[in-house]
Amino acid sequence: MKINKPNQRGQIQLTFSWIYIAIAGAVILLFFFSIVVKQKQVSEERLSVEVVRIMESILTGAGVSESTKNFIDASGLADYTLYFDCIDSVSEFGIQGRPARAQNAIDPLFAPKTMQGRQIIAWSLPYKLPFKVIDFLLITSSSNKYYLTGGDGVFVNEFLNATEGFNREYVTDLSEIDADSEFDVRIVDADGTHIPGKKVPGSLQDFDDLKVSAVVFTGSNQNTIDFYQKEGLEWKKLNKNPVRIISLGGERDAAKYAAIFAGDDKTYQCNMQKAFRRLEILSEVYGGSGIAELQVGGKLGELQEYYLSQGLSAHPDCLGNIQNYPDHLTESLAALKSRAAACQLEEEICLDLISTAGKIQDLNNNLRLNCIRLY
Amino acid sequence: MKRSTLPYGLRRNRKAQIQMSETIAVLFIFFVLIFFGIIFYYKYQQVSFQEKQEELLGTRAIETTLKTLFLPELICSKGEAESEDNCVDMLKLRSLNETIKQYLDDYYFEIFSYARIYVQEVYPGNSTFILYDKQKPDATREEPTFFVVTLRDEIAGKGQELHKFGYLAVVVYS
Repeated sequence: MKINKPNQRGQIQLTFSWIYIAIAGAVILLFFFSIVVKQKQVSEERLSVEVVRIMESILTGAGVSESTKNFIDASGLADYTLYFDCIDSVSEFGIQGRPARAQNAIDPLFAPKTMQGRQIIAWSLPYKLPFKVIDFLLITSSSNKYYLTGGDGVFVNEFLNATEGFNREYVTDLSEIDADSEFDVRIVDADGTHIPGKKVPGSLQDFDDLKVSAVVFTGSNQNTIDFYQKEGLEWKKLNKNPVRIISLGGERDAAKYAAIFAGDDKTYQCNMQKAFRRLEILSEVYGGSGIAELQVGGKLGELQEYYLSQGLSAHPDCLGNIQNYPDHLTESLAALKSRAAACQLEEEICLDLISTAGKIQDLNNNLRLNCIRLY
Repeated sequence: MKRSTLPYGLRRNRKAQIQMSETIAVLFIFFVLIFFGIIFYYKYQQVSFQEKQEELLGTRAIETTLKTLFLPELICSKGEAESEDNCVDMLKLRSLNETIKQYLDDYYFEIFSYARIYVQEVYPGNSTFILYDKQKPDATREEPTFFVVTLRDEIAGKGQELHKFGYLAVVVYS
């Protein structure tokens, strides 16, 4: 018995050594494994931050240069879903399911609610009311399909020419739609005869409800908009009251095109509010900070001073358009500033901006003949 | 073979002491290596963080310059036609500083952040027009960018537009 004792102890020690090695090995492996997992998470987050940052830079570049279309290769982002939103005049975009996001309270950004594709299209259009207020940035992707239907030939031709290179198609009837391979579908009903009260076209019925939407132009001059979303086999109207397009019309009307590319009525109006804020500030640049109280300053003040220094009889027409005629720039700019400020609080007032901007446009055209223009 | 004269218990103690010293030495070297690794990683991270900051500052300088060049508050316009690139309207410029100051914190800071933006007339005069000035209290770096522009003054040329020359300077801080 005495001889066997050390052997038994050795066997126990050996077993314990192996158990110890196994536990230590497992702990070390676990440690490295957790580092790998953590690094993977960190690098994915870093990637999403980098993507959002690069997107921000691209959008800044695309947004500032007037009337430019940028087709951006985004094949590296093809697996990610980008989202766009706007709440309280602050738009936000990022990668769905990732924490990285970018917010912007200045630039109006009109885009589908979600977007995925190998090519991002950024189109900047100047918004003028009547002078240039800001550039609208319209964003879409190669996988977002736009079907235009209805309307007169003028708008159809204008839209098709303006959106060369976009994933868009004109259909005379919605039954012609064949959108099997598309990520997202938007129908543009240019005269309000194809969507309201109708069923969702057969080829779109199997689509996810959130992936099919429509924008309908109504009103005498197609100057009001309704936004629709697919709900089963029916169309659900998103806005309670028709959304008025606040613009002076004409070709490539930024406010009208923005509605086509905006996700829904809320994001459209949210981004339009950014433009009205800038309009309020710009009316001070043109008319001075006291323009609302008819105290002329800014560019108009410089013009007024210049013409007064030349003598009242030297340029009666110029001074007349600035301050003497029944409709004059001082009063119109004052009204524009007040209405732009009020419009941010109450949407109905925004409608008055159109007539005021129209007056300023006419007065500016009068100045063009013999005087220095306001803008 | 000479056998140790020490008793069995004492001999085992000495062996254990040697083993313990060995373990301590190994642990010491191990921790020294870890310590060097941490220092190396920290230095590497510090350098790459600084490089990244410089890169971001450079990008911000370019973006701010771009935004300023196309600012509707500044750019020359001709009625309904497209704005004239790289042209500053002097009639707007002269009083713009006042408007920007008024809306600096609640609007323009969002566009320009910490920066100093001014237009320097080079010919025929040499006036300086400061548009925006928001210094960063603890700024460690600054990145200036300059861009040549024409300055359109419609009331200086006696009935004709007068185009002056100058540059737009944008200095961003971080």
